[in-house]
Amino acid sequence: MLHALLDTLWLVPIYSLVGAALSLVWVPSITRRTGPRPAGYVNILMTLVSFLHGLGALGVVWGRSPVLWEVEWFRVADLAFTIPVEISTLTVGAIVLITGLNLLAQVYAVGYMEMDWGWARFYALLSFFESGMCALVLCGSLFFSYVILEVLTLGTYLLVGVWYNQALVVTGARDAFLTKRAGDLILLMGVVALLPLAGTWDFNALSLWASSGTADPTALAWVGLALLAGPVGKCAQFPLHLWLDEAMESPLPSSVLRLSVVVATGAWVLIRLLPLLDASPVVQSVAIAIGAATALGASLIAIAQIDVKRILSYTVSAYMGLVFVAVATRNQEAALLLVLTHALAIALVVMAAGSIISNCITQDITQLGGLLLRRPITAFTMAVGIAGLVGVPPLGTAWVFQELVSQLWYGQRGLAILVLVVNALTAWSMARLFWLVFGGAPKQMTLRSPEPIWLMVVPMMVLAGVVLHVPHLLWQWQLVQDWAVLGQHSGIAVMVSSFLGLGLGTLWFRRSRTGEPFVPWLLPLQNFFAYDFYTVKLYRYSIVWIVDRFSRLVDWGDRFVIDGIGNFFGVATLFSGESIKYTTFGQLQFYVLTIIGGILLLFLLVAS
Amino acid sequence: MVLSALIWLPILGAVLTALMPSAKGAKATAIATLSAVVGLTLWVSRQFLLTEGGFQFREALDWLPNLGVNYTLGLDGMSLPLVGLNGLICWLLVFAQNASAGRSRLLMVLLLLTCGGVNGAFLATNAMLFVIFYELELIPLYLLIAVWGSAKKEYAATKFLIFTAVSGILILAAVLALGWLSGGEQPVFDYVQLRQQALPLPLQRILLLALLIGFGIKAPLVPLHTWLPDTYVESSSTVAMFLGGVLAKLGSYGILRFAMPLFPEAWAELSPWLALWAGVGILYGAFAAIAQKDIKRMVAYSSIGHMSYILLAAASGTALSLVGAIAQMVSHGLVLALLFYLVGLIEQKTGSRELDVLNGLLNPIRGYPTTSALLILGGMASAGIPGMVGFAAEFLIFQGSFSAYPLPTLMAIAGTGLTAVYFVILLNRTCFGKLDNNLYYPKISGLESIPSLVLAVFIVVLGLQPALLLRWSESTAQSYGSAAFLPPPVIALHPISHD
Repeated sequence: MLHALLDTLWLVPIYSLVGAALSLVWVPSITRRTGPRPAGYVNILMTLVSFLHGLGALGVVWGRSPVLWEVEWFRVADLAFTIPVEISTLTVGAIVLITGLNLLAQVYAVGYMEMDWGWARFYALLSFFESGMCALVLCGSLFFSYVILEVLTLGTYLLVGVWYNQALVVTGARDAFLTKRAGDLILLMGVVALLPLAGTWDFNALSLWASSGTADPTALAWVGLALLAGPVGKCAQFPLHLWLDEAMESPLPSSVLRLSVVVATGAWVLIRLLPLLDASPVVQSVAIAIGAATALGASLIAIAQIDVKRILSYTVSAYMGLVFVAVATRNQEAALLLVLTHALAIALVVMAAGSIISNCITQDITQLGGLLLRRPITAFTMAVGIAGLVGVPPLGTAWVFQELVSQLWYGQRGLAILVLVVNALTAWSMARLFWLVFGGAPKQMTLRSPEPIWLMVVPMMVLAGVVLHVPHLLWQWQLVQDWAVLGQHSGIAVMVSSFLGLGLGTLWFRRSRTGEPFVPWLLPLQNFFAYDFYTVKLYRYSIVWIVDRFSRLVDWGDRFVIDGIGNFFGVATLFSGESIKYTTFGQLQFYVLTIIGGILLLFLLVAS
Repeated sequence: MVLSALIWLPILGAVLTALMPSAKGAKATAIATLSAVVGLTLWVSRQFLLTEGGFQFREALDWLPNLGVNYTLGLDGMSLPLVGLNGLICWLLVFAQNASAGRSRLLMVLLLLTCGGVNGAFLATNAMLFVIFYELELIPLYLLIAVWGSAKKEYAATKFLIFTAVSGILILAAVLALGWLSGGEQPVFDYVQLRQQALPLPLQRILLLALLIGFGIKAPLVPLHTWLPDTYVESSSTVAMFLGGVLAKLGSYGILRFAMPLFPEAWAELSPWLALWAGVGILYGAFAAIAQKDIKRMVAYSSIGHMSYILLAAASGTALSLVGAIAQMVSHGLVLALLFYLVGLIEQKTGSRELDVLNGLLNPIRGYPTTSALLILGGMASAGIPGMVGFAAEFLIFQGSFSAYPLPTLMAIAGTGLTAVYFVILLNRTCFGKLDNNLYYPKISGLESIPSLVLAVFIVVLGLQPALLLRWSESTAQSYGSAAFLPPPVIALHPISHD
């Protein structure tokens, strides 16, 4: 016996699953009677229960050593599918983060989705995600992590497709599902290939195995690369990054959850796999290359977007790229911390953006402007979110970046500079976002724009409070022990990069009120970024084209060649029968001749 | 006697159904018969010894002892799940029949006859007896396709008949040769004895090839599948469910039961090619499905790829992959039956199954939200999303086959990805999108949804706890699995505290 709250911690994923299941009650005929709202309230209640349970458990587990359980799912032919459950400060903390953010997102959605009819589906899916993520952080097995990631891929398809009667939503859901599934299946190949090598899927046992040096380096590299594909898909890294942008077609409250914690599921699995990746230099360099390319590329793409949600989605890709870099360079503490601070800050920025979108109708920032005095609360929360996202001391991310830069500076200086550059670019991009929305004179879309309903404002304010208190929490948790590190070179470098980006962005976009490029000849370059390196076209003319043409070729071959052979025999039989029937002359001699000829032929065949 | 009851009860029920004075009485009789079959199967499963790998509940009656053809029945972990599947699907099909519709009585009679025949094939432990049952169910089946199909039903039924007849002839020839060339005074067709005899390798090769082609036509395996799209598409959804859900399993059952264990040397020699064949078949079926514009045809093509997983599992022949193969037969039966049922329902109500015509069926007011939701579930189960029965089966096949045949296994995994591609195409076009404002389709009643709901419950429950399905076949698979799948010992963990 540990403590009732810990012993029953496995209930946390169940609560929200029950909520999701209860939403199924609201079929159209019942929704017509009760309205769609009760389904939402049920789910909010279940999430609240999860959150309180998690919070209580966090207090209990604090300072204890991790507890491991094993639950057997089933066992067949000498292969046991055992779920290792790991309860530690880290996992329970992650649960609190997930349930807390989901609680805020759900309350926010009550305001945002006020007029919507599909509450039952939407809330059920949010709960489904919460449940899946809580299960993911608790389970310590690669196999079950794969299972959960794959189920969440299906969840993404349905959640992006909530407003399924719009064309862009349908294609967005399709692309999100297929891209993530491609990553998942390569991960599955890794999972399948790993078992005969290591004999286990347990993360702890895997790390022992990887460090024991018994593994064949080539096999390890191949398996490692396959395993990397899962997180690459989940974290929207190059070349599987396209889906996150298209997934922005889903209702905004789900983006709060997706951009903050759902993408981080990939990072979480990557961190758990670190010992395995660590053992193979090839995998490590590939992870760094992917992360660095995404971090730089996506932050440049973000600057060229005019859609608020796209700006944010590419920013998330860029930050996940930094997490990849941090993990691959063995700074897993910094990686985890970055996941935390990024999640809180980006959730806040998304909520603030949603507060604008909800009553200005548009999410095109070139049509917005002049909202600073009309929407002071939103402006404040967005400013706090931005400050938390880019390294503005003393808020959270500054500490993480300081740590990363100081770790990377001696050894991998290029990566340290990369972190600073990405930070500066993101700061520039966020300044652009902020001033195009709030600065300048009001435009047509922003002439009448009050603050939204309290149901949206309160979650924003609460989250802003949390983001502002992150440094305090870090101090409390003794993750930060010395304020003086901010005064070191690395701390100053981070500060300079942030303020350079924010300052220059402010200077530029407070004046420049259009989305025009700085200089006309830069237009092709701007388009190159605005169209996401033309990745959509690249896919359309490569993989999609190949699959499409090849499937048509197979279908053609199937109809005309393979089926044709069968039909040929049929026709040949009919034809020969039809022609032979005219040989029935009634002349006995002719029949005898045929028989003798046949016998002779047989004899010759046998004799030879 | 209980196994005989499983065979003859449906046939007796067919006679009674034919004799019932009223249409309602006929349906009630058919349902009562099949309920008895399902109940009997449940009772058998209660008595079934899980640790026993061989045949249980054996029955033996001398029939033509001089020819070696005897009425011997037995049930093991390979046949039990399939008998259960057969009973369940038949029950649902009869339940879904509209008793007042014309000729529904004939349909039920034929269904019951086929149900009995299929059970006979699954339970026969004499190879000739198997062939007899295998051939007998062809007659009612031909009628089922030819009478209730759509426009090109005669063409489809004849094509099916010819292909299946060729399959039957090859199997008959192979089994006859197997019995007569065993070297004894009298021909031997008893399965247990056949497994013990050793044939010379060249003979094994020839017979194995004949059986593979014979069962490959039935399953079907690429390129012997050309009867399938026409037959599945042209027959009514009831018959398509039965064909795809149950009948196709006779082919894969034959491969697992006869082709694989009876010719061990030839099988070992051939299995790398079989694995590759399976991999190609999986990809072929998936690519062909992607190009389809007709949802029923798409589902039909999905079946081709999914049956090839079983060949892959048989080729690698590990205990793990064989458990997976048996589970895959059941899972494929459930999922395909669900998909065909829903597609049939949609066709019946909307009058179309064209991807370019259907749209927005998820619409909660004028569309079919429940049916669409179940279609999403079925498609995703077919694509092997965890939490549904298909994943458990496919994963065991992948894991069991990877060590032996890595490349075909990777092809199979890629195949599940392509399966997702065409089901997303299907779902995006039919369920998602905007329903035309002027379209008012007839409602789907709750009663009509029941068969699909039952199948969905099975798919989800067996997916959440696969042991419910896998435990029946574990011992049998271990007795067949030549190479045991044994991962190296797990490295010792730091102490785990159990509470």
